[in-house]
Amino acid sequence: MIDFTLSKKQKDVQDGIRSLGKYVIRPMSLSMDRNKEVPEQFLRNFMRLAKGFRSDDVVDPSEEGAAPRERDPNKPSETNRTSAIAAEELAWADAAMLLSVPGPGLGGPPIRATGTPEQKARFFGVFKDMDKGPLKWGAYALTEPGAGSDVAGIRTSCRKEGNEWVLNGRKCYITNGARASWNVVFATVDPSLGRAGHRAFVVEKGTPGFEIGKIEDKMGLRANETAELVFEDCRVPEENLLGGEAAYVSKEGFMTAMKTFDNTRPLVAAMAVGIGRAAYEYARDFVKDNYVLSRPVPRYAAIAERLARVGRRLEAARSLVYRATYMADAGIPNAKEASMSKAAAGQAATFACIEAIEICGAHGSLATEHALLEKWFRDIKVYDIFEGTGNIQRVVISKRLMTGLKAF
Amino acid sequence: MISFEANEEQTLIQQSVADFAKSTLAPRVRQFEADRVVAADVKAGAHEMGIGLMGLPEACGGQGLGLVTSVLVEEELGAADAAASFGLPGPGAFGRAVLELGTEEQARDWLADFAAEGGETRFGAVAWSESSPCRDRAGFVTTALRSDAGYVINGKKSFVTNAHSADRFLVFAQVEAEKGWGGIGAFLVKKSAPGVVVGARHDTLGLDAADFGEVSFDNVAVTEADRLLGGADFTKATLRFFAKQSLVVAARAVGVARFAFEIAREHCDTRKAFGKPIGHFQAVAFALADRHMDVESARWLVWKAAHAWDAKLPEKEALIATAQATAHALEASMRCADECVGLHGGSGFIRDLIAEKLMRDAKQLALCTPTAEQLDQVSAALDLGIALDPALVLPTPDVQAIFT
Repeated sequence: MIDFTLSKKQKDVQDGIRSLGKYVIRPMSLSMDRNKEVPEQFLRNFMRLAKGFRSDDVVDPSEEGAAPRERDPNKPSETNRTSAIAAEELAWADAAMLLSVPGPGLGGPPIRATGTPEQKARFFGVFKDMDKGPLKWGAYALTEPGAGSDVAGIRTSCRKEGNEWVLNGRKCYITNGARASWNVVFATVDPSLGRAGHRAFVVEKGTPGFEIGKIEDKMGLRANETAELVFEDCRVPEENLLGGEAAYVSKEGFMTAMKTFDNTRPLVAAMAVGIGRAAYEYARDFVKDNYVLSRPVPRYAAIAERLARVGRRLEAARSLVYRATYMADAGIPNAKEASMSKAAAGQAATFACIEAIEICGAHGSLATEHALLEKWFRDIKVYDIFEGTGNIQRVVISKRLMTGLKAF
Repeated sequence: MISFEANEEQTLIQQSVADFAKSTLAPRVRQFEADRVVAADVKAGAHEMGIGLMGLPEACGGQGLGLVTSVLVEEELGAADAAASFGLPGPGAFGRAVLELGTEEQARDWLADFAAEGGETRFGAVAWSESSPCRDRAGFVTTALRSDAGYVINGKKSFVTNAHSADRFLVFAQVEAEKGWGGIGAFLVKKSAPGVVVGARHDTLGLDAADFGEVSFDNVAVTEADRLLGGADFTKATLRFFAKQSLVVAARAVGVARFAFEIAREHCDTRKAFGKPIGHFQAVAFALADRHMDVESARWLVWKAAHAWDAKLPEKEALIATAQATAHALEASMRCADECVGLHGGSGFIRDLIAEKLMRDAKQLALCTPTAEQLDQVSAALDLGIALDPALVLPTPDVQAIFT
């Protein structure tokens, strides 16, 4: 049945995160941004809480290999939809906090998709004892100073020496890259082979020859760490080649690692919608509280129209997020829809933040206590950049619209 | 649970209307356009399928299906010929207005014969707009003054859809002059009533097969029983009517958008320049990607709003969803049709192809419902929690007159 109402579970998740966001996360948002850090105690509390929100068919990342919790096989999964709803609410509260939550992060999907059973046990096992021990992260290192959107252009090299691989090169803009216990690092045996030459490694913290470069000073998402990784004759044991040699006989192995984006893009889109909604609501409430709506000032109609345009553009983006996650839950291939949601949401939310500041006037740009609008304006732009820029999403969509289009 | 899957009944209805649209409407689009009317055999066929009667309550002889089914059907019609979708028989906008503003008894009295024998020739019309605003006070120029027997209506209405084919009208007129837009009323009038004169037919940019015209009322007497009071709040009820009607038009707009996108995509797949299909150039492919997002997001928003009404969600929620959906769909369909003509190049401008018609129809459609600007005022006012000013949230002729 065509339906757009949330299930009981989803409503509970949404309400729970919304009040956590409003009463706990939002009040610390600006100080986290200034201190460039999410307090460890908060992350620990949050992780405990998040276990309660998890859908029945999601496996705890630290328990990879464990059987999913019992669920009714006749009941369709709504995991992706629930995740999108949760992601929107968390980003509404604080997007940098969400990116800083311990766990395998973006490094999880390629290991789950390509890793050998032994690798899964080893690398997911790292997160097992976070309740008692230190917090841990995983990360995904693909982008280089000379290659971002054009993944085939990566130049970090790898060569086999004995039972080790030797890596040389640099990775940049890696979320949680410096503090990560391990990074999934993409390198090439020979740039002239294109994608067929690519290999993915799990490089552990402390591996000789692996150093952390610059920690980036960013426009937004400042509470979240973005790092440069440097590999100088970094020697990685052959057991850390993701999927083992067998995975690279064809280029499918690498493609599997890339396919992880189909599931993460709608979530990134949902986060963008969350930030955009935060900005929209801020501007709406500002207009309500600060403008003299009882007086017939003609400009109010113009302000109202501007607000409405922001609102409906976000709603359109959200509909594409729901569509993409609905397809994922139903097991329908959704690469095109995932990219559509990301392309639309990145732009809609950026538009929302720009418009919201304009609507609030001078007040909108103040970086004072509890004035978060200027922060969201700084946070949002990267949502149209990471996980594939808006243009890259359009390349993905185009290839699925046009007959016989392999590349531009 | 969030779901994009129509139920079995909806899917069956959608498919049969899609077949009808493809086999019966699409091949004759230009004929309807030239004749400025949908052919009688097509009207009869549509009536036989019950296309116009789906939303009519069972008590009035209809099928009592919800708005979700309506928007599924209307998209299919719009994707074949948006103009014909206005020219197919049935209670249409008139029926929706009577259902929203009238009592059950009034609905039965004025709507039941649409489902009866001869229904394929019956049309109703909503006489709302006027060609110029009232200069000395807020409200309509057309008045309905109290008389001993009820009311006497005087005035001229413009931009009335089905003006010539309708045998009955719902006329909006000023009852209490001093109350401005809060003082209007709605009256049911038969075309046969003395003093009703159907005037000139409008020549329009698009939707040529739809019948738009003027209707004059010269001392037309109506009884109290034929006034629709709109329940507790007339402005709210009128707004609900325009909202639901706008969703139907928005669904047709989604159909136009989809059709325009599809033929543009096909053209870019086959037309070659500089040694390859033009769709293999980024500027062209990216434009198509953006239009694809327009089509899909517009459809989902329309579904969501239709579902909000069917599921009886709080009225505020349904109204906001509707205003957002319609405003987005109208603008999206215009972008798609515009792009479709542009991507065709010179051939898009020539009437041998359908592209130019889609572009004219898309703009015309956007004026057959409260405009995107008016709808934005509705959603903003509701979300800001300010009182609904009928002058701002109803599509009054004070600013941007619309076809009803």
